[in-house]
Amino acid sequence: MLLFRGPHWDRGLTPDQLQQAMDKVMAWFEGLNEGGKIKSAQPLGTQGRIISGTNGRFVLDGPFAESKEAVGGYLVLHAANLNEAVEIARSMPTLSYGVSVEVRPILAECPIFQRHPDLVQRASERAVQAEQLWVAAAA
Amino acid sequence: MSTTSTAKSDYLLLFRGNVWDRGLSPAQLQKVVSDWMAWFERLKAEGKCVGGNPLEDEGKVISGKQRTVADGPFAESKEAIGGYFYLTVADEKEAIEIAKQCPGLEYGSVVEVRPVADECSIKQRAQEYSNHELAGATA
Repeated sequence: MLLFRGPHWDRGLTPDQLQQAMDKVMAWFEGLNEGGKIKSAQPLGTQGRIISGTNGRFVLDGPFAESKEAVGGYLVLHAANLNEAVEIARSMPTLSYGVSVEVRPILAECPIFQRHPDLVQRASERAVQAEQLWVAAAA
Repeated sequence: MSTTSTAKSDYLLLFRGNVWDRGLSPAQLQKVVSDWMAWFERLKAEGKCVGGNPLEDEGKVISGKQRTVADGPFAESKEAIGGYFYLTVADEKEAIEIAKQCPGLEYGSVVEVRPVADECSIKQRAQEYSNHELAGATA
């Protein structure tokens, strides 16, 4: 997964520069798409909320719109390995305008769950038991 | 744009913080792992969550005109994105209500709720510039 950070890279560009940059971005994206490299991709709206605290009792506006760290969009790649994903990320045109790209392997299972395999095993067993009880009760 | 009550919007939940399991007792971990699995399964069954994945802790960050590749994100961070859910819900209110149910919240996990945009806002801006130019040319 590529996370594009810094959604305001267009600030300070002239209309011509912006048009050129957009043409490059579109060509880059189309090239990847035609090569079958793109599984999914979406830009994100700049508005959002940050939820924290027990039962989500804090709801703040966010992310910080001006932040260079804010995620502006994402792209899920079909890549053979991290190296290929990094090479694709390095070819992204807006790097020249201050965007940074975070490249993260997608996992089938959460690393926190992986650190506690015994607990996950027990949780799955309980879920199966509960379903069996439910099926037995319904029969 | 549709204004019927059946209109659906897409939101991305970004789960921030990838070390919130540290310091939890086995019983607390057992509960949060079970609750999280049940939460994800329920949202999928309800058709409100159409996808979701954890991300590997390790990754790369690419930035600058030189396309510098650094290890990242910071492996242990409250800000690091640990995974995401892709939601299809009625509106932002429903997305926030779902985010508030995240079982990791009481242990310090933070959920960022972001609308998925149809089109990149920067592309729209470039389009507006070129429309303006065309209007100027024909005036």
